[in-house]
Amino acid sequence: MSDFDLNELELAPPEVVRQAARDFAAALAETPQFKAYEEAIERLNHDTAAQRAIDAFQSKQQSLQALLMLNAVSAADKAELQRLQNAFSSAPAVVAYAQAQADLMAICQASADWLSEAIGLNYATACGSGCC
Amino acid sequence: MTHSNLNQLPDLMAATQALAENLLASEPFAVYQQASARFSADPHARGLIERLSQAQADLRRRQMNRGVTQADVDQLRALQSEVQSNDVIVDYVTTQQSAVAYLREINQEISLLIGSDFAALAGRSSC
Repeated sequence: MSDFDLNELELAPPEVVRQAARDFAAALAETPQFKAYEEAIERLNHDTAAQRAIDAFQSKQQSLQALLMLNAVSAADKAELQRLQNAFSSAPAVVAYAQAQADLMAICQASADWLSEAIGLNYATACGSGCC
Repeated sequence: MTHSNLNQLPDLMAATQALAENLLASEPFAVYQQASARFSADPHARGLIERLSQAQADLRRRQMNRGVTQADVDQLRALQSEVQSNDVIVDYVTTQQSAVAYLREINQEISLLIGSDFAALAGRSSC
């Protein structure tokens, strides 16, 4: 692009774009979904029963890590791991956290989709939040 | 959730719209949009990319069948060289990289303020 072409465009100064990003972050933080998510994290962090259930699952999973990688876990250990996973994933604070996270992700995805359509690039992919 | 569902969140909708407009009017994106338009309007450049993509797929298929010849490799290298020396393609790729780098900076700005990676929250896991 020549300088002439660039001058023809009405460009947004970098500080104005950054302020728009900050305004967007503030608007997102004020949504009921974001507030519910923060509250759910807080509740989860202070729920000793849920924390114990999570710790028990993670501890068992860690102890079986090598066997899990080799797909050599015994049926009894598999069943115990599944039981511990069910116990933590059904804890009320964990269920509430998962729902709050899903609700927040839905509005983040809707906003990012909007941005992606406008700029012609997939926002989430471009920002490197690839899977796995 | 679709864009229309953001109707229930007018402040977020307005902030998203404003950010989209400002991003589009930022220098990295303005330059990228122009390079993208030039690429889209250039059948030779688009044809080169299509031929390169096809040649790469053919070579992978032949590699699996152990049927790669020196001529196949030479043809692919010639195409790669042609792509790398095509100004429209090079401009398109480099301006896209700059736009992506800029978008990451903006994402970092948002993420710092909300305390979570916004792009990760907005991603759709395909695992």
